[in-house]
Amino acid sequence: MAEREKEIERSAEEIVESFVEAAKELPKLKETYYSQEAYNIVRPDGKPTPAKERAKFRKQFISNMPTSDDQGNLKVEVARWAEKR
Amino acid sequence: MGRETLEKLDAIRRGELSAVENVQQALELIKKQDKQVKAFIELNPHALAEAEAIDRKLKRGERVGKLAGLAIGVKSNINVTGLRATCASRTLENYVSTYDAEAIRRVRDAGGVIVGMNNMDEFACGSSGETSAFSPTDNPAAPGHIPGGSSSGGAAAVAAGMCDLCLASDTGGSIRNPASHCGVVGIRPTQGLVPGHGLIELAVSFDQIGPLAPDVYGAALMLETIAGHNPNECTTLDLSSVNYLDKLNIKIESIRVGTSPKFSELTDPAIIKVIDGAVEKLRDLGAEIVEVELPHLEKGLSAYYVIMSAEFFSATRKFDGRKYGRRIEEVCGDEVLRRIKCGEYISRKEQLGKYYQRALQVRTLLRREFEEALDRVDVIVGPTVPKLPHELGTKLSPAEMRAYDYLTSPISLAGTCAGVIKAGDVDGIPVGLQVQGKVLGEGTVLRVMHALEAVK
Repeated sequence: MAEREKEIERSAEEIVESFVEAAKELPKLKETYYSQEAYNIVRPDGKPTPAKERAKFRKQFISNMPTSDDQGNLKVEVARWAEKR
Repeated sequence: MGRETLEKLDAIRRGELSAVENVQQALELIKKQDKQVKAFIELNPHALAEAEAIDRKLKRGERVGKLAGLAIGVKSNINVTGLRATCASRTLENYVSTYDAEAIRRVRDAGGVIVGMNNMDEFACGSSGETSAFSPTDNPAAPGHIPGGSSSGGAAAVAAGMCDLCLASDTGGSIRNPASHCGVVGIRPTQGLVPGHGLIELAVSFDQIGPLAPDVYGAALMLETIAGHNPNECTTLDLSSVNYLDKLNIKIESIRVGTSPKFSELTDPAIIKVIDGAVEKLRDLGAEIVEVELPHLEKGLSAYYVIMSAEFFSATRKFDGRKYGRRIEEVCGDEVLRRIKCGEYISRKEQLGKYYQRALQVRTLLRREFEEALDRVDVIVGPTVPKLPHELGTKLSPAEMRAYDYLTSPISLAGTCAGVIKAGDVDGIPVGLQVQGKVLGEGTVLRVMHALEAVK
């Protein structure tokens, strides 16, 4: 591991452990979790997006892919062990 | 004071200033000043065409929205179709948004013209505006000093007059901190008031989109535009619409304003002197000043860092360089890596329940203390940041950097709202007053800030 990463990892652990120390004397209460107003929302059926807009979206989406084939499919990472065979 | 936004809107509606002229002025200022300030990462090439469309509507007498013709900057972690949402990181430097965030859709519907994407701390991890992978941002209100962060570009752009209003995000103080350092107005809305759809998250349970503005009217106007329920989003509150502008001018004679001795324990005395002056002005305006207890305020920061880091670690697992961008750990800066490592450490050891789970208990404690304090008063006022902004490039330890968030992170834990307005300055460096309100208390927060703005 590079020296920079080791140093950052050390400071990260310090930050987290300093919280344990700071919270030592505090009362144990019920946790506050991320609240949401409604669950399992089903989006209402709307009109389908026009074909022209869908094509534009696809073009933009593919342009963000680091690697794609000539048909616009995402090329996924090949496992290193497979490359060696 | 504080009529800049309203006067400009009136001028556009009356035809004394066209939307094109307004946007052109903004673009010219950006061209002239942004080589130094570095408030923008990218400009919108269609901004003038969009302004022309607003002018055509105005000429035909058609209905235009409440932001018609105003030049809007957007933080680079909010998706705007066709523009890059980089989060000021090499990870996403070439990522072009494929859709508009819900808040952006509302801004466009209201006739706001997006002029460009604002610089920021990388992935909103920072309080100084120095961790952007592209360039640090200067502070137009105190040149050579940090503008604060993470919404550094937005606050600097508003302070320099490069745009009329900005959309930014606040997790542990990212709107309020730069608003204070740059002498502008900023609002962190109540959790769930503004849809978060389309915001690239730092920590999902804290992140809120909110406005930066040159005056309280502008902040209220933008908040009215973007607030309200989004039926496709389960984390927005069930409010169809809000109205702040009509109530801005109501006097604050009946308002109870809380202050806490905790603030002066944690803050530079020079800042406290300015804040005390603002409190006296509120007293002169007829507000009743009441002392409130916030016994564990200083414990908020470390709990905030634990929760934020755990959520950030989880959020960044998608940046693996496969579908878009580059693998985050390979290209990110030190502060982003530190927060990822914090989150990784917590995730590895959480079976003991002493990190994330414990921090959520401290969140409950802070939430209760603010609830109890805000039961006695309408708002709590105090400093926004405990120290003055350092000079750009000064080396600070991670702990010294984190200390900037001491007074803003507790409100994020409490889930309530807060606004910031300039209270004065120390040797020419702006100092912001933080007005902390109840859940959905934005109207009262804005009224208090508006009253203070009027007497400046």
